[in-house]
Amino acid sequence: MRWRIIELETRDACLNMGIDQAISEGIAEGSSDPTIRFYKWHPSAVSIGCFQSMNDEVDVQKCREEGIGYVRRRTGGGAVFHDENGEITYSVIAPEREMPRGIIDSYRLICGWIIDSLATLGISASFAPINDIVVNGKKISGNAQTRRDGVLLQHGTVLYNPDIRRMFSLLKVDNAKLSDKAIRSVEERVTRVTDYAKVSQDDLYKAMLKGFTGGKEHYIGGLSDKEMKAALQLSKEVYGSDGWNFSR
Amino acid sequence: MEGIAKQKVPGGKLLIVKVRYAERIEEVKILGDFFIYPESAVQEIEAGLNGIDATSSEESVAELVGQISKRCNAEMIGVNPSAIAQTLRAAMG
Repeated sequence: MRWRIIELETRDACLNMGIDQAISEGIAEGSSDPTIRFYKWHPSAVSIGCFQSMNDEVDVQKCREEGIGYVRRRTGGGAVFHDENGEITYSVIAPEREMPRGIIDSYRLICGWIIDSLATLGISASFAPINDIVVNGKKISGNAQTRRDGVLLQHGTVLYNPDIRRMFSLLKVDNAKLSDKAIRSVEERVTRVTDYAKVSQDDLYKAMLKGFTGGKEHYIGGLSDKEMKAALQLSKEVYGSDGWNFSR
Repeated sequence: MEGIAKQKVPGGKLLIVKVRYAERIEEVKILGDFFIYPESAVQEIEAGLNGIDATSSEESVAELVGQISKRCNAEMIGVNPSAIAQTLRAAMG
């Protein structure tokens, strides 16, 4: 399998999700290559899992006031604050037949690429089923996968140095009222690259590029015009619509 | 009447069930940070629960959820039919 690698790019929340879906649909119809893409979010945004309620999980009014994006993903999993300077997101999109059939096995394979990436920075991480990667028992990466029309999509984030206080002000977390106690509680469960390595975000990206492409036949490419057109349409008509984002 | 219940599925994910009901279930929402493929199976399960007797046993609800799930070729990760049935019953007191 020959992978297309789309290098780190920055998009808004709706377009990021539109691109993932457009590539998935392109692979399903045979017009797109298996793809690994790396991206950031501008403006910073909150994404919720497919089965979550936006109003239950997110302070939407505060997001609007602060210019923070919000979007419902097509994958399950939980709510995530994508701090534009605090994390790097990736997507792996490939025919199901080329990936392990078992769900946990496929999470383990792709999460292994993240573990390899972190290892190059001297960080010893491990896979914590179902869908997390941990360092010393603390989550450093969350991941979500879906499969549709014979295509596997997994996307996830690696926490570089997220603003946890801001995250708390945007997400409605049980018993989390921006108290020091609540923040300490999250800090006990979540960690970040900067806790373990004095590296820049660019260093993390280069490590991820190496970890994800190692041993794979690949080329550096971009989106086709067809993919970008479809992504822009999905961004506007699906991921940017209240009908999708507030449907649960 | 309306009800809501939540549980962390053992070894799994957070599951929240919201229900509106009288003698029969009128509307169910199954929410949480679990994974189900295809995602449309959740709507199928919700629709399949609408209209059933509100006193239906946990076992019969679990069986129905399992049947719908099988019909949809759904794969559940971090949640299962029994947990959905258990949480739905809890939401109805």
